[in-house]
Amino acid sequence: METRIENPVIWRRLSVVAILLLAFSGLVWRAIDLQLNRGEFLQMEGNARFLRVMKVPAHRGKILDRNGYPLAISTPVDSVWANPHELHPKGARFNRLVTLLGLDGRQLRRELEARKDREFVFLKRQLDPGLAERVMALGIDGVYLQREYRRYYPMGEVAAHVVGFTNVDDTGQEGIELAFEDRLKGTSGSKRVLRDRTGQSVADVEPIRAPKAGQDLVLSIDKRIQYLAYRTLLAAVKRNRARAGSAVVLDTRSGEVLAMVNQPSYNPNNRSDLVGSRFRNRAITDVFEPGSTAKPFTIAAALGSGRFGTDSLVDTSPGYLEVGKYLVKDIRNHGKIDLGTIVQKSSNVGASKIALALPPEELWQTFSRFGFGQVSGAGFPGEAAGVLNHYFEWGDVHKATLSYGYGISVTALQLARAYAAIANDGRLSPVTFEAANGKVKAARVISEEVALKLRRMLETVVTSGGTGTRAQLEGYRVAGKTGTVRKVTPSGYSEDRYVALFAGMAPMSSPRIVTVVVIDEPNAGDYYGGQVAAPAFAEITQGVLRLLGVAPDDRSLPLRQASATVPSRSVMERIQSALAQLKLPPERHAPEATR
Amino acid sequence: MKVLTLPQALPRALATEPTWIDRWDYGLLASALFLAGLGLVMVASASISIAAREVSDPLYFFWRQAAYLGFSLAIGAITLGVPTRIWQRLGPVLLVLGIVLLALVLLPGVGREVNGSTRWMKFGTLNLQPSEVMKVFLVIYLAGYLVRRTEEVRSRLGGFLKPVVLLSIIAALLLLEPDYGATVVLFATALGMMFLAGVPLMIFLVWVLVTVSFFACLMLAAPYRLERLMIFMNPWSDPYGSGFQLTQALIAIGRGEWFGVGLGASVQKLFYLPEAHTDFLFAVLAEELGLVGVVSVISLFAFIVIRAMQIGARAEKLGAPFCAYLAYGIGLLVALQSVINIGVNMGMLPTKGLTLPLMSYGGSSLVVSCLCIAILLRIDHELRAGP
Repeated sequence: METRIENPVIWRRLSVVAILLLAFSGLVWRAIDLQLNRGEFLQMEGNARFLRVMKVPAHRGKILDRNGYPLAISTPVDSVWANPHELHPKGARFNRLVTLLGLDGRQLRRELEARKDREFVFLKRQLDPGLAERVMALGIDGVYLQREYRRYYPMGEVAAHVVGFTNVDDTGQEGIELAFEDRLKGTSGSKRVLRDRTGQSVADVEPIRAPKAGQDLVLSIDKRIQYLAYRTLLAAVKRNRARAGSAVVLDTRSGEVLAMVNQPSYNPNNRSDLVGSRFRNRAITDVFEPGSTAKPFTIAAALGSGRFGTDSLVDTSPGYLEVGKYLVKDIRNHGKIDLGTIVQKSSNVGASKIALALPPEELWQTFSRFGFGQVSGAGFPGEAAGVLNHYFEWGDVHKATLSYGYGISVTALQLARAYAAIANDGRLSPVTFEAANGKVKAARVISEEVALKLRRMLETVVTSGGTGTRAQLEGYRVAGKTGTVRKVTPSGYSEDRYVALFAGMAPMSSPRIVTVVVIDEPNAGDYYGGQVAAPAFAEITQGVLRLLGVAPDDRSLPLRQASATVPSRSVMERIQSALAQLKLPPERHAPEATR
Repeated sequence: MKVLTLPQALPRALATEPTWIDRWDYGLLASALFLAGLGLVMVASASISIAAREVSDPLYFFWRQAAYLGFSLAIGAITLGVPTRIWQRLGPVLLVLGIVLLALVLLPGVGREVNGSTRWMKFGTLNLQPSEVMKVFLVIYLAGYLVRRTEEVRSRLGGFLKPVVLLSIIAALLLLEPDYGATVVLFATALGMMFLAGVPLMIFLVWVLVTVSFFACLMLAAPYRLERLMIFMNPWSDPYGSGFQLTQALIAIGRGEWFGVGLGASVQKLFYLPEAHTDFLFAVLAEELGLVGVVSVISLFAFIVIRAMQIGARAEKLGAPFCAYLAYGIGLLVALQSVINIGVNMGMLPTKGLTLPLMSYGGSSLVVSCLCIAILLRIDHELRAGP
């Protein structure tokens, strides 16, 4: 083979090969540098991009009624958020997103632009998980989901005022949700996750902190009683075209609130409903002058002072009494009457005369011991203490008006609590919204004997000749007091705006529950407590006693509950027609009847 | 079939003339097949999440690439039977065909625009990338030209300028797409071939100077282009903007360490690294298979390139200059393409849309790669058979 000297190719080829080999070696050298020497830095950079600490939201505790029915539960929902750095607010997919979320595209673009310097902007909170899935299926860069819990209130407006509600961040804002925030709220945990660039967690890397769920809370509220009270109050408020109303049912021994309802109410599941004063728990936040419902406490002071006995007679003629420039009036002249009759007929003159005969200190102490002018201790947010002026400030007029419930202001809950003390043999229990477990620390406010005397007087109110006959129950004896209060207006006491009240307890022989009904500004003709509030009281109390399975104590009537089996229709009808014919209930025989 | 034991087979191989079966470079073939196979596996791995999200079929890209590979192997097998003189004779025709295709792709309605570049033509469900085809056609034509005009090329400026003019036309067409990567590869390959063919050194150096100045002017005329081009020097200065793709690639490679995070376990392919299964396949490979995988792949490419140069040298020695230039050209093509792609992946070169031969997803690239390897094998086969 011939060797061509002029062939320049050998060195050229060698130099090309050398350059190429150098290039390949350079690649290997670079790979070693990147993978071994700078691996740590690059891995760190990588981790900063795809490892994220994710919040693990914790369940907020459930709120249950005393039998374990849920009043507030947390359900998982998804919130959609965006990173404005990564989300390009353009194109068909972005428009689909805007449509799915029901947002305004132009406004969203402006918002994203305004928050360019942030990495987190909520697009829409608390979506149904199904919808959230469809949003993520669009596969838009920079759009992410966050698991959250949304509060759901199965009883809706029925228990709204007691349970309250949380805000969108799952923090209690009103009611029990606010009062027991510390116990209900969970502590969210965190974990490290591996995310792909679309924001989907691909794998859990390590847990950092376990979430701690909030504690469940068992309330004293009984769902069934709550519902019954709500329905009854609603009907009463509607029937009387009233401005507002409240009803409270207390357990006399434990001080547990079995039901607390108000009108108007709102639906806590629909946030747009949260306007105006609808979500005020009037039974606790609104005060009113108790009127005649305060008379039993004047009588209690009288009996406790030793200056009066049940058979002491007070001359109420001529049906009015001048106190200073002020005239105290009765509906008519009751003449000389005993204390029980003062209560039964609701004599303002009688009550005033008693009050004027008592040392102011004793009168004040009795009212104060029953809890007026103080918060109930239930720890409910926004509770009003009411006003009970100190006796230093009293003159005769004040003393007289206090005796029949003016110049003092109370809440429905305070009134119920004070009546519960009469029911509970003179022991005042703290009010609680939690299911009571164990003994209740009750404070004695009047003697057992005085309490019993008061109850007997109060029973006469609902019997023939009393002001509250429409509070009578089937099968149970009832004690209670009506109240009809003129409302205070800027120009003095109103002539046509009233608060109708009824406070009472049952069964009379051993009271289990106290019910207070407040109807604010009845506007359909009737306005007396005995006409407007007493029927609602009766309906609620009757139902509660049946629900609680309390044994009837009034055997003077044929009882529907007497037979274990459900009576046939004809029997029911017979009983009802018999009741209708009776009109007036028979005398209830008590050994120490006051008259 | 009778199996021969070693003591039987050995004397026979020594004793007799090499048979047809023996006259193939099995090392080269095995290297190429290995790379193609590994490429298919890596395409599957790198594209699973992307495919699942975009076309709701995790294996969409895998099956397409598998089909392309089958088609490419068939083309390769046919090519093995095509004598090199056919290619020599077809050279000018192929060149014209290539230029026509390059021009066609620029016509509206014919070309398909992806990411701002019009590089693809649609044929049914298949996409043809004329720039890929042009590379191999130019190498074939140029090899023929260099043989026809050896003396002119080695002595006169004209012999050098003619292909340069041709090259400039092609480059202009490519720049219109635009496809800078292909332009660079074509230019460098052609220059390398002419250098190996013996273009006078002075002319060559002057020309290199002219070309470099031309590109430099192009850059300086538009500083933003330079800036964007130079981000590879320090991608961390803007990791969420212009440096995004490169920093993601570097992170992928850095995560690989010695043995990688394991096949299929790449995180960067989860939408962090754009073009994970095409231009940045190598970064995913580096992440999943580590330095071991990286060095293996680089070595195999280097081996193929060295083999091409060796075959070329042998052809020259045996007086088959067309085969020699063709082998050099293919060697340069494969070398430039793989070095630039891997260099881009590792942040040594400015980011260009170039595929990794034999491995990246894409039918045109795969067909052309297999064609090149098959031509190399054919040349070697012809050389073994003797002149």
